[in-house]
Amino acid sequence: MNLMNFVYAFLLLLAAFVFQTTLTGINRKVVARLQRRRGPRFYQQFIDIFKALSKGSTTHGWVFDFGVVMALGGIMATAIFIPFGPLKAVPAMDNIFIIAYVLAVGMLGMAMSASGSGNPWASIGVSRALTNMLAYDIPFMMVVFGLIFAFDTSSLSGLAAIQREGGFLGWHVIRFPLGGIVAMISLQGMLGKKPFDSFIAPAEIASGPMVEYGGRHLGMLFLLHEFSTFIEVSLIVHLFFGGGATVAAFLVKYALIYTFLNIVSNVLPRFKIDQAVTFFYKVPLALAVVQTFLIIVVGMGVA
Amino acid sequence: MTFDILIVLMFLGAVTAYLVSKADLKAGAYATVLFSLGALVLLLLGRGEIGSEFTILFMGFEVTTIGWYFSGVMVLVYAMTAFFNSYWMDKMIYPGSYNFLYLFSLGGTVGLFFAKDLITLFIFWEIVVWSSTFIVPMGKSRRAAVVYYTISTIGSMATLYGIMLLHRISGTLDIQGAFAPLKNDPVLATVIFFIFIMAGLTKIGIFPFHIWLPLAHGSAPHTFSPVLSGGLVKMGAFIAYMSVGILPAYEAFKGSLTVMGIPIQIYALMILGAVSIVLGTLMAIKQDDAKKLIAYSSVANGGYILIGILLMDQLAFAGSMMHLFNHAIASAAAFLAIAVVAHRTGTTKISELGGMIHRMPLTYLTYLIAIISLAGIPPMGGFVSKWLIIQGLADQGLMFMALAAFFGSIGSFLYVFRPLAAVFLGQLAPRHEELASAPLLMKIPMTILMVLILFFGVLPGWILGIIGQIQVAAGIEPVMMSGNSILAVNGVLNTLNVFMVFGFGFLIALVIFMLMQKSRRVGLMDTYTSAEFIYTPELYHYGSAFYAPFERLYARHPSVEDFLMALAYKGHEAGLMVNALFFSHKPGVTVFWITVIVAVVTLGGVGL
Repeated sequence: MNLMNFVYAFLLLLAAFVFQTTLTGINRKVVARLQRRRGPRFYQQFIDIFKALSKGSTTHGWVFDFGVVMALGGIMATAIFIPFGPLKAVPAMDNIFIIAYVLAVGMLGMAMSASGSGNPWASIGVSRALTNMLAYDIPFMMVVFGLIFAFDTSSLSGLAAIQREGGFLGWHVIRFPLGGIVAMISLQGMLGKKPFDSFIAPAEIASGPMVEYGGRHLGMLFLLHEFSTFIEVSLIVHLFFGGGATVAAFLVKYALIYTFLNIVSNVLPRFKIDQAVTFFYKVPLALAVVQTFLIIVVGMGVA
Repeated sequence: MTFDILIVLMFLGAVTAYLVSKADLKAGAYATVLFSLGALVLLLLGRGEIGSEFTILFMGFEVTTIGWYFSGVMVLVYAMTAFFNSYWMDKMIYPGSYNFLYLFSLGGTVGLFFAKDLITLFIFWEIVVWSSTFIVPMGKSRRAAVVYYTISTIGSMATLYGIMLLHRISGTLDIQGAFAPLKNDPVLATVIFFIFIMAGLTKIGIFPFHIWLPLAHGSAPHTFSPVLSGGLVKMGAFIAYMSVGILPAYEAFKGSLTVMGIPIQIYALMILGAVSIVLGTLMAIKQDDAKKLIAYSSVANGGYILIGILLMDQLAFAGSMMHLFNHAIASAAAFLAIAVVAHRTGTTKISELGGMIHRMPLTYLTYLIAIISLAGIPPMGGFVSKWLIIQGLADQGLMFMALAAFFGSIGSFLYVFRPLAAVFLGQLAPRHEELASAPLLMKIPMTILMVLILFFGVLPGWILGIIGQIQVAAGIEPVMMSGNSILAVNGVLNTLNVFMVFGFGFLIALVIFMLMQKSRRVGLMDTYTSAEFIYTPELYHYGSAFYAPFERLYARHPSVEDFLMALAYKGHEAGLMVNALFFSHKPGVTVFWITVIVAVVTLGGVGL
C-alpha cells in the first residue's frame, strides 16, 4: 500500500457516493410515480445530505460522536475493498469474509452511538436491527460458502471473473438459481427495505436507531446509508450477476437490481421482527442449504 | 533449567502467598501478582529451551512448542487477573487460601502442559481441578462448585481409565510411546479416542458437558472468572489436541467411514462442537447476568476451538490455535471489565445497570475492544482466527460446521452488544452518579490486554509463526505467511492493510465531522420521549429482555439440564432406597441382612 492507493481509494469513494446518491434520487422519483406523485428532483438527495451536514446539532456525550465517526469510517473502509467494476483501489483485498466482517465495524459503531444517546427507542431499534442481521446473514453466508468451495477462491473479483467466462449463461444466478433467489431476498434484508424494515419503523418506534440524530450526525448517517447500500448491492452484482468487465456494465446491472428491489419494497407490507426471523430460517435458509448441498455433494452447476 | 524453576517456584510461591496473607491480606494478594508476573518473565526467557527435558522428583517433563504456547496463554491470563485479587481480599471468607490456590493452580497448569508421561499429566490435571474446585465456592454459590467438580470428575475418571488402558496395551506411560500401538488397531484406537478426550470435552464445556460453565463462571469470585474462562477451559483444548495430534487419530481411523473426508469418529465430535456453538450462542443471547452471558459465549467459542483442532489441517487448526489465545485474552478482558463494574456497583445483573461509560470510560473501552475481538470483527485478533477457521471449513466443504460457525459469528454480535448497550450505554441511574472509575491497579491489566488484542489483530505474524512450528511438529502443513499477508488456499488476508484502510476511512469521517458546525452538549434525559414527561432515568432505559421478540422464538426449548436434574433426582431416590433397606434403626433388619450375607458367603464358599 502506498500513497497512490489511498488517492485512488478516495476517488472511488467519491464515485460510489455520487453514483449511489443519484440513484437514490432517481428511485425517489420512481417510487413517487408508483404512488401517482410527481416526486422530488433527482438531485434532491444531495441537497438533503448537504443541508443536514450544515445544520447545528445536539450531542449526548463522546460515545455518541465517536460512534458516528467509527460507523462512517468503517463503512467507507468496507466500500474501499469493494471492486468498482474492474477497478480496485487496494489489490488482493476483496475477500468476501473480510468485507462481511469489516462491514460489521460500521454497524457496531452505529449501534453504539445510537444506544449512547440514552433513548430507549434507539436501543429497541438496534436490538431489532441485530436480530434482522442474524436472520438474513446466515442464508446468504451459506450460499457464499458453497460458491467459495466450488471455485476455490473467496475474492469477489475472482468469483465475478469466473462467471464472465461463459457469457450471460455463466452468471451464478443462472447456474445456481436457488442461491440467486436466496441472495436477492437476503439483499432486501441487508438494505432494510420492506418487508424487513421493522428496525427503523418511524411510526412505531420513532425511527429506532435514528431517533436522536440531527445536523452533522444525521448528515453523516445519510452518507453511511449511501455507502452501505453501495457495498451490499455490489456484493450481489459481483457474486451472482457477473460483476462488471467495464465500469459501465457494472453500473447498469447495479442500477437495475437496486431499482427492482426498491419497486418490490414499495408494494409489500412490513414483517414483525420475529416473523422476519422465522421466514428467513424457513424459506431462504432451507433453499441455501439445498443449494450448498447440491454444489458440495452433487457438484451441480460447478463444472 | 528455566522451567523446573518455574514450576517449583509456583508451588513455593503458593505457600509464600499463604503465609504472607496470614500477616497482611493485601500483601498476600500482591505476592500473587509478583509470582505470576515472574512466571510470565521466566516463560518468555525460556523460549530457547524448547526441546529440552527435565525431571522434578519422579516426574518427567519435556518442553514442547505447543506446551510452551499453552503455558504462555495460561500464565498471561493468570498474571493479568492477579492485579484484581487485592480488591477482593476483604470479600472472601478464606482470602489466604484463595491466594494459595491461585498460584497452586497456576503451577499445576504449567506442569500439565510440559508433562512427558501420562501419570504426570494426570497428577497436574487433578491439582488444577482440585484447587479451582475450592476457589469456585468462595464466590456466590456452593452448588456451582459441586456441579463443576462432578462434571470435571466424569472427565478425569474417563481419562484416567484411558491412561490405564494405554499402559496395559503398550506397557509404557510415556506420552509418545503409549499411543504408538494404536496406529494399527482402529477399534482400540476408537475406544481410547473417545475415553481419553472426555476430560477435554468436559473442560472446554462441549455439549452436553457445558452446564458447569455458566454456573461456575457466573458464581465464582469475580477475580477468578477470567481465569476459569480465559485459562482453565483451554486445558481441555490441550487434551483434545493430544487425542487427535499425538494419538494420530487420522492415521488410526484410516479405514473408517468418512464424511467429506473426515473419519466418522472425529466428525461425531465435530457435530458436538457445532451444537455447542449454536447452543452457547442462543443461551448467551437471553442471559440477564453479564458473567453468565460471557460464560455461555465461552461455550460457543469452545466449539470453534474444538472443531479447528479436530480438523488437524493447515488453516482451521492454525485458526483454532490462535483463537485459543485470542479468546483467552478477550474473554479475560471482558470478565475483568465486568469485575470492575461489580466492584463499584455490587451487581452483575444487566437490567440493574446502565450508563457506566459516563463513570468508567476506560473500563468501557476495554469491554468494547474485548467484544469486538470476541465477535471476530477486524481489526482485532479474534477476526484473524475466525477468518482462518472459516476459510479452513470452506476449503474442506464442511457445510454444517460452517452453518454453525456463521450462526455463532453473527449471533455473537447480538450477545456481546447486550451488555455494551445496557450496562455501559443508556441511562445512568441516579444512584450510580457518584461512582468512581476503576482503581489504578485495575487499569494496568486492562490497558495491557487492550493493547495485546489490537496488536495481534494487526500484526499476527509472531503468533502464527509459533503456530506454524506447532503444526510442523504435529506433522501437518504450517500456515503460510508472506510479509503481513496470511495466505490461505482460497483467499489472502493482509491484516496490516485492513487496519490501514480502516484508519483511512476513520480519518475521512473524522475530517467531515470536525469540519461541520460544533454540536451542543445535552443531558441523557434530554431526548425524544413521544411528548411524555419522564423524570426517572432508570425507567427510561432499555435493559431487560433486550432481544425479547427473538428470545420468544425459542423460549420453550428442550434442555439437557432438565434431563440431568431428573437423573440426579432418580439417583437421590435410589440412595434413599438403599438407605431405607440397609441403614435401618430397627435391630431386626440389621440381623436379617447379617444373616443373609453370612449365608451367601458360606454357601458361596461351599459351592467353590
